[in-house]
Amino acid sequence: MIQRQTPESIGRVVATELKPATPHQFHFWTANETTIGIGAIVKVEGPGAGDQGSGRVVFGVVTDGFAYSDLATPLHDVVGAEGDPAKAAERPTVRQEIRLWTAAVLRQEPEEPLQPVPLGAVYLASDADVAQALRMDAYLTGAQPTGIPVGLYTAAGHEAPVYLDADFLLGPEAAHLNISGVSGLATKTSAVEFLLASIFQHFPAHKGRIAALCFNVKGPDLCFLDRPGALDDADRRRYERLGITPQPFERVRYYAPCKADGVNLNTLRTHPDLVGDVEPLVWGLEEVLDFAEVLLNRDDIDAKADAFIDFLSDRVLNKEFDDGFGGSHRVQTFADLDGLFRAIFDGLELTGRSDMWRTHHIATIRKVRNRLSNISTRCKGLVTDDGPSNDLPWGRFEDRTVYVVDVANVDALGQDLVFARAVSKLREHLERRDLGVEAVVVFVDELNKYAPGDGPETYVRKMLLDISERGRYLGLVLFAAEQFRSQVHRRVVGNAGTTLFGRMDADELATPGYQVLSPATKIKLATLPIGELMVRHPHFTQPIFLRFPRPAVLRGRDGVERFPPATDLPFEDAVVRQLVRLDRRIRPNQVKDLIAERRPDDVRRALAAVRRTRPEDALAYFRRILGARVAPVTAPAREAVPPLNPISEEPY
Amino acid sequence: MARGWVDAIVAAGAVPVSYVPEASIGRQADAAEATVAELVEDAELRTHRVDAAAPAPAAVSFLDGIQQWRVVGQSGVVPLVRAYVAAAVRRRGGDRRLRTVAERSLEFAITHVEALAAPVRRALEDSGVTVVNLAATDLGQPSRTLRAAHVQVDRAREQLERQLGERCVTDLRDGEWLIVDGLLSESELLARHPRTLGVIKSHGAQFFSGADLERALTVPAGHRTSVFAPQSHAHQPIYSWYLRLWPWEGNDLLYGLLRIEARAHRETVAAAAGASGWLVQERAPVSTPDERWDRLLYAIHDVETYLRARAPRDFLSPTASRLPRAAS
Ligand SMILES: Nc1ncnc2c1ncn2[C@@H]1O[C@H](COP(=O)(O)OP(=O)(O)O)[C@@H](O)[C@H]1O
Ligand SMILES: [Mg+2]
Repeated sequence: MIQRQTPESIGRVVATELKPATPHQFHFWTANETTIGIGAIVKVEGPGAGDQGSGRVVFGVVTDGFAYSDLATPLHDVVGAEGDPAKAAERPTVRQEIRLWTAAVLRQEPEEPLQPVPLGAVYLASDADVAQALRMDAYLTGAQPTGIPVGLYTAAGHEAPVYLDADFLLGPEAAHLNISGVSGLATKTSAVEFLLASIFQHFPAHKGRIAALCFNVKGPDLCFLDRPGALDDADRRRYERLGITPQPFERVRYYAPCKADGVNLNTLRTHPDLVGDVEPLVWGLEEVLDFAEVLLNRDDIDAKADAFIDFLSDRVLNKEFDDGFGGSHRVQTFADLDGLFRAIFDGLELTGRSDMWRTHHIATIRKVRNRLSNISTRCKGLVTDDGPSNDLPWGRFEDRTVYVVDVANVDALGQDLVFARAVSKLREHLERRDLGVEAVVVFVDELNKYAPGDGPETYVRKMLLDISERGRYLGLVLFAAEQFRSQVHRRVVGNAGTTLFGRMDADELATPGYQVLSPATKIKLATLPIGELMVRHPHFTQPIFLRFPRPAVLRGRDGVERFPPATDLPFEDAVVRQLVRLDRRIRPNQVKDLIAERRPDDVRRALAAVRRTRPEDALAYFRRILGARVAPVTAPAREAVPPLNPISEEPY
Repeated sequence: MARGWVDAIVAAGAVPVSYVPEASIGRQADAAEATVAELVEDAELRTHRVDAAAPAPAAVSFLDGIQQWRVVGQSGVVPLVRAYVAAAVRRRGGDRRLRTVAERSLEFAITHVEALAAPVRRALEDSGVTVVNLAATDLGQPSRTLRAAHVQVDRAREQLERQLGERCVTDLRDGEWLIVDGLLSESELLARHPRTLGVIKSHGAQFFSGADLERALTVPAGHRTSVFAPQSHAHQPIYSWYLRLWPWEGNDLLYGLLRIEARAHRETVAAAAGASGWLVQERAPVSTPDERWDRLLYAIHDVETYLRARAPRDFLSPTASRLPRAAS
């Protein structure tokens, strides 16, 4: 027979004139030896029928604790011990002490009328109590539940799964997640990896398909998401309790720019066993010109330069263009563009007519040329100054797939360019509903670098602000991490519906943003063990502490040990490798013979053509392209990228 | 001016003390009742240093009681008193924490039933409350009647304490001790038990005179007197000695002074040395903010606090202002 044990009360609500119970806070005492601690969730039951507050049930979370004895003043302890601390330990009776706790109300039943917490018995919360206290009952039950497991509430030897509401984590009600805490202890990257896995397994069917685009900005952090990592039994038990299968991501697509040689990949995932599925990320003039604003914002480029860039995009790029000096240009690459610039400068000099060319001053033209050639040299490997591009599969995103773009070794300007372009493309396709999935989580680490609280207005910051404010309607969801939340733009973090905190720095906790937290909660945050987090979520009226298992993927640090990156290959070998990846039948010597004596630029161009075309017979195609001078490819009709919403004039 | 002579007497050898006798602020001090005592240790009263390192027993129980009463009604000149008495034993084991092992309380009424107005008397009898009846001779001026009521309350508490103490002492395991707040000599059972001590804080009884009295009342801190046997026919025979917890110099003669009662038995003389040792250690933790902290053992204070916390709340203070109620 099953016997339902009535749980034992572990405390009692007390109220005095100085410490009264209110509708939002109450105090209770427990035995001196208790399992209660800061962050524990408790349930208060009003006293029996007829008494004050009967029938009322209140859930609360412990935010502070006090211990004191009946000692009137410390001086009396000194007197009793005759000034000798050693004697104080020997006294025959231990003084009466109290453990008094303060709890913040999570929920009251009934909710109306809202009244002070009754002076009733206190119990530890059960699974069902935790669900009720956090208002999870609203989205865990019903026809279309939307719970996403985020971790285990752990207190007093008791564990209860905690779920976020997908409608509030991934839109449309609210969206975005921000996580902060000190490096290496806060488990920011790990928590996001874990949560992504949870989302992929629990994203409700009625909400459609979902993918993630993760920017790897630090070392090997996200380079091994498809490889299993080490888990211990406790982790596995937690996965089971949360209803998540501990496994690495099944579908991960890696993208990395090339190194300056244009053939070796600029990533730490270059071990021969793994490099095969890393796609080169290569952009040409067209891709760069769309986002030239990114490059210009960084400096003091003026409106005249903007106008000239617009002119290039609208009138010159991919069109037959007459330079006015008798030359005709079809500009598709940086090389073509430079040809046009040279023609203009030569023409102006020869004719000696003036400093103006088609309403653009020669100084403006020089400036723009410098900026553009600057990017093609600083980001060589990402930006080809000649030849076609290789981009993410816009329009063909797949369900439950992680797209990792490795920009860890790209310079700041290049990173900005990658963010700006990738996010804008996502936005554009999500708006048109033709991305391939209904929602995308974009993960940006080191958010403080890209959306700092101070410093100049940059294109990337405006863009992040724009997603944070409007993304939830589009299914464009920002997961961002940073060490110091206080250093990130207020509205970018402010718009995150869900916030996680790992181990925090004490100085950071002293900043005004944390004033709402009790001193005890701050201490807990400052000493939080690895694997524990504090979460704020719209349904939870108070921050809740959670424990989550290690992500089931190989840690970046372990990954580079298990799969040490290959040293850069000589040019021919790198070309061979890229071709073999496309067609396993190809033999290295065939390729080497073909490319001997060829100009590297021609080889790169031919390689890019193979990559883009993906022909049946890669080697034959490669040979054909290499054999002839590469004919200009007719460019596809350009899709205009809609401008960002006008947000730059908003006050900060 | 005053300083001058005070300094002079101190310079001449008087021990400086500082004490405002209760009588000097208007209250009645206990009148000293003279009792004869016979020394059972030493030929003349001496003081002995106690062994402050003596090990305390593994378990000690502490017994104390409280009483609360107030006049709640008046039928003519006959008061109706509501009284509450309670007693508890709290035991201290190896973890040095006190836990309640026995507890009793009693609520009752005190009045002179026969003198009550008939309806009041009927109401009282119908209520089922225990009534302690005063003698007709106790009626009169309130001061007289209330003194009589007070005696009844005292008696009820003492009886409760005695009952609880006697029950506790029969359950006492080997090596365990019972400390009673107050006289041991009220109960035959307690007065005969080898490991029960009475701890007395008020010193109305005078057992010595002359040099013996001086040695007894000036016993230095950490010392005890010789064991003596008070001669009283009203009480059970017991042995007794004085024990000083804190130095009296600078305060008053009775500061930190306890009188201990133990069973009248040869072995008590030897036991006095050991028991005094661990009793002196009981002076810490101090039982402040109680005014008698210099001689109130913390554990006894704890029992009292416990009892007060559990007493009915409505005894504590008048429920309403005593100012005349405004007409409405
Ligand atoms: N749930 C967890 N339990 C135990 N250890 C963890 C957990 N999550 C992460 N770790 C460990 O904590 C360390 C830091 O994690 P990481 O995610 O890199 O932190 P951050 O991104 O904040 O610098 C890593 O060594 C990782 O293995
Ligand atoms: Mg990290």
